[in-house]
Amino acid sequence: MQKLYTFLFLSFTATLAFGQVDRTKMPEPGPAPEINLEEPQRFELNNGLTVLVVENHKLPRVSVQLTLDNPPILEGEKAGVASLTGSLLGLGSKSIPKDEFNEEIDFLGATMNFGPQGAYASSLSKYFPRILELMADAAINPNFTQVEFDKEKDKLITGLKTQEKDVAAIAERVQRVLAYGKDHPFGEYTSEETVNNVLLTDVQEFYRNYFVPANAYLIVIGDVTFGEVKDLVETHFTPWTKAAPPSFSYSNPKDAQYTQINFVDMPNAVQSEIAVQNLVNLQMKDADYLPALMANQILGGGGEGRLFLNLREDKGYTYGSYSGIGNDKYGPSRFRATASVRNMVTDSSVVELLKEVDRMVNEPVSQRELENTKAKYAGRFVMALEQPQTLAGYALNIETEDLPKDFYKTYLERLEKITVADVQNAAKKYFSPENARIVVAGKGSEVLENLEQVTFQGKKIPLKYVDKTGAPSQKPEYDMALEEGVTATGILEKYIEAIGGKDKLKAVESYALAADADMQGVTLQLELKKTASDQFMQNINMMGNSVSKQVLDGDKGYMVMQGQRKDLGPEEIEKVKEESAPFPELNYLAAGDISLEGTEMVGDKKAYKLQITDQKTAFYDMATGLKLQEVNVAEMQGQQMSQILLYDDYQEVSGILFPFKLTQSMGPQSLEFNVTKIKVNDGVAPSDFE
Amino acid sequence: MKKQLFMAVAFFALAVTGRAQEVAYEEYDLDNGLHVILHQDNTAPVVTTSVMYHVGGKDRTEGRTGFAHFFEHLLFEGTKNIEKGKWFEIVSANGGTNNANTSNDRTYYYEVFPSNNLKLGLWMESERMLHPVINQVGVDTQNEVVKEEKRLRYDNSPYGKILFAVAENLFKKHPYKDPNIGYMEDLDAASLEEFIAYKEKYYVPNNAVLVVAGDIDIPQTKKWIADYFGPIPRGADIQRSFPLEDPITQEIRATQYDPNIQIPASIMAYRTPGFKNRDAYVLDMISTYLSDGPSSKLYKKMVDDQKEALQVGAFNIGQEDYGMYLVFALPVGDTSLEQLNTSIEEEMAKTREALISENDYKKLQNKFENRFVNSNASIEGIAGSLATNYLLYGDTSLINKEIEIYRSITREEIMEVAQKYLKPNQRVIIDYLPEENPSN
Repeated sequence: MQKLYTFLFLSFTATLAFGQVDRTKMPEPGPAPEINLEEPQRFELNNGLTVLVVENHKLPRVSVQLTLDNPPILEGEKAGVASLTGSLLGLGSKSIPKDEFNEEIDFLGATMNFGPQGAYASSLSKYFPRILELMADAAINPNFTQVEFDKEKDKLITGLKTQEKDVAAIAERVQRVLAYGKDHPFGEYTSEETVNNVLLTDVQEFYRNYFVPANAYLIVIGDVTFGEVKDLVETHFTPWTKAAPPSFSYSNPKDAQYTQINFVDMPNAVQSEIAVQNLVNLQMKDADYLPALMANQILGGGGEGRLFLNLREDKGYTYGSYSGIGNDKYGPSRFRATASVRNMVTDSSVVELLKEVDRMVNEPVSQRELENTKAKYAGRFVMALEQPQTLAGYALNIETEDLPKDFYKTYLERLEKITVADVQNAAKKYFSPENARIVVAGKGSEVLENLEQVTFQGKKIPLKYVDKTGAPSQKPEYDMALEEGVTATGILEKYIEAIGGKDKLKAVESYALAADADMQGVTLQLELKKTASDQFMQNINMMGNSVSKQVLDGDKGYMVMQGQRKDLGPEEIEKVKEESAPFPELNYLAAGDISLEGTEMVGDKKAYKLQITDQKTAFYDMATGLKLQEVNVAEMQGQQMSQILLYDDYQEVSGILFPFKLTQSMGPQSLEFNVTKIKVNDGVAPSDFE
Repeated sequence: MKKQLFMAVAFFALAVTGRAQEVAYEEYDLDNGLHVILHQDNTAPVVTTSVMYHVGGKDRTEGRTGFAHFFEHLLFEGTKNIEKGKWFEIVSANGGTNNANTSNDRTYYYEVFPSNNLKLGLWMESERMLHPVINQVGVDTQNEVVKEEKRLRYDNSPYGKILFAVAENLFKKHPYKDPNIGYMEDLDAASLEEFIAYKEKYYVPNNAVLVVAGDIDIPQTKKWIADYFGPIPRGADIQRSFPLEDPITQEIRATQYDPNIQIPASIMAYRTPGFKNRDAYVLDMISTYLSDGPSSKLYKKMVDDQKEALQVGAFNIGQEDYGMYLVFALPVGDTSLEQLNTSIEEEMAKTREALISENDYKKLQNKFENRFVNSNASIEGIAGSLATNYLLYGDTSLINKEIEIYRSITREEIMEVAQKYLKPNQRVIIDYLPEENPSN
């Protein structure tokens, strides 16, 4: 009944309403909402720790953030020491063993993390006193042990390996190295080598030097009272010994003298990571800080930025293209315009990125763009106040960035006063399309040809090659020119000649081969027999048991995998037949349908590449004519898989050269078979193919 | 000593559970079938307007994988009264933010504005529901954009194909078997006519829920909702029938290659019931028990004590019809994937064969209480939960009552559910291996 009334009432208002709303017109905003900029409460300890407290009783929870506002730290040849210190902090304390410590935090449903220069914890408010106590104990009385150190070191090294092929991670590293130089705190990177230089004593020293309270801030937000926090912090953090971090200097990085592309070859990339970057000296307290943010926002701050509208919405080159501008009170930071784009459009994307940056510098933005962007910032400012973290963050910035006390109170007012000219001046000062380092990480064989031709404003942009660490490198070689007159037939003939000549090969009725391979300590035995009349047998034994067997006898055949026998279908029979000839090259030559695809390196040898079938290619040494490699592409679970067979260590048997080392690899697994025995026209019986 | 401490803490926990926050809301239907939920909270001048449609990756025909997500992109291309390319600009020029996302089960659009722009948010979402412009230009552009998104998120991303491999092996018939983002060839094949038909079928008020949450005035909000959404015509009722999967009774082994990694991973996955099912909540607890936090069973054993894994994690991926529960581990050094599997199975077996300890049980309860408190921390989050609870779980009040479900789960039930779903013959094991550099 109740429902019916509601229903009637609703349809009534709905009908009434139809006449009143004009949906062709965008609704106007209502009066601006009031904002409330409360200041956090604050106190200091004698050791230098500053504490900010934001009371917020909406939910029964508390967060605690410890931040050490120290200058950037150069780790040098021990890069990784900071990260290791962070990992070792929070693993219990001198009085609480690690397991107990973790168990208790988990038990309370809380979280606690440490970094090299800070810590964070959150919990239900009822557990706050204990959580704060545990955090202080772990921060002030860390227990660095060799056992944990070794463990964290292993993890760090393994973690570095996980990034070796990560295109985005490599791109980011190279961008930093090139922007700041590798001897700068922001440019240096951690490698297996530098991690191996770090000793437990280095971690202890790093902690002593840099985990000190002089520039420390503790921010407590949530369902607490100021009095409670003050008591607890005084109790638990007063023992932290007063000290300031050592200071030192490092080289001042410079922008490139002229705009250039630095290319990192990433053969596994399906997208290129592009960054157009230059250094900026910008601090929050600078008068043009807000105009610089506006300029960046208009260029690439989001879904309505010029980069996004151009590269994504107009051209569909990318899922998103953005720009960012940093600020740092200690030295230079970076301006970057970035996009991840598909290989084919790498060169065009570089041009579009540069074009948009250049347009910001050389043309004033429209009044509408500016007004929209101001509105966006104003809205963001207002909406951020929903989070109590915002007030704490503002207070922290005022303290650490040397801002006037009313920086945030006058924020909206200052924002409103920014002019089109202010924005262009900021773009001129902070964006440098003339001195940009463009870093491209991508698949060279697909993108380089066009990237070499990129011109901007009528000038070709110089292209430099760097390796994955940002060090100068050579242009990667993909295709070597084919000499005149080389044909597939010629290559096959040369191979046949090299291993013994057509007559000798044709005289081979059968051969038998035995080989061993070592697989994680277990010996695999391979037995292979072939005849010239479509007979083939391959058997792999492990510890006396057959694990895989394939047999072909004319038009029938079967395979046994782990004890399961299966007859081969007609298609499979055809495939095995191709493999069954003692020297398949004789058949290729006869068929005459093999094509020469080009040249490629196989290991350190130059080789010709022949396409044998849709799925199979073979590589022959340019110098000796010998077969170096075969690649079979197979479809497995919807994936294209390459199986590679390498031939090496050719030795003569009955006047014919056979490879004595066969290395088979698929994915990361590789098996090296060493031939123990080859018999020609001997050791093969018809019963082998039953 | 340790034990005593836990006892004391546990007692404390019981004593204070009485205090909990309650999310107040009001809900009703428009006569075109649109369900409306309002939540008022005037503490900050912010309002979230969101619409969730009951259409996702699984609502498609064969050969059209990725359709729902592609369609989501199209719905930013403009409407009869919002010019192409202006959507983001309008939001941002009015101080707001917006986004959308598509799962296998639903599509969610939202705007967050300072509260003086609520009317704008309602207008935009009603425009999108009433008359979006869907044309060939949009289809062509977004086709490329979606493909780039796929490359960025999955093809170029280390371990980006784990979920694809799991889904492909856990499901044989249900559309959950295919990636939500779709296959390249299917994305290319989707035609304009199909998109228009899709709109007619699924983007109708009777298949959606509108949530307005934050600094609002309720009578005013209701009036604007009636103004903007009232005139949208109701659509036909939607029939859904998805194929049922046969039970997995024999372990499935599979291999997946990823060119973006150097360290392999082992993945053990199980098919679980849809998220409305009580067992799904229990599995969520099991997942937390095994791998959430440094003192969890798998982490403690494999990463900490035996140093055989670099990382180990468990995910319980809840979906409407079936869920996926998966445990993955990355080996340290020369540890074989088989070794990792053995270690994981040992812990699984313990969960199946014995009750978890009282202490671990209390730890779980504390964790879920913490999670519950944090889940309602932002207005945006509350809006999302209200929409999901109504549309997919069929019970809006879960926003306040979900914690009670977790509280009612017993140790015995945890063991029963582990026995029911996590046996070795029900699992999929995937060797997730690095792929050698493709030759250039």
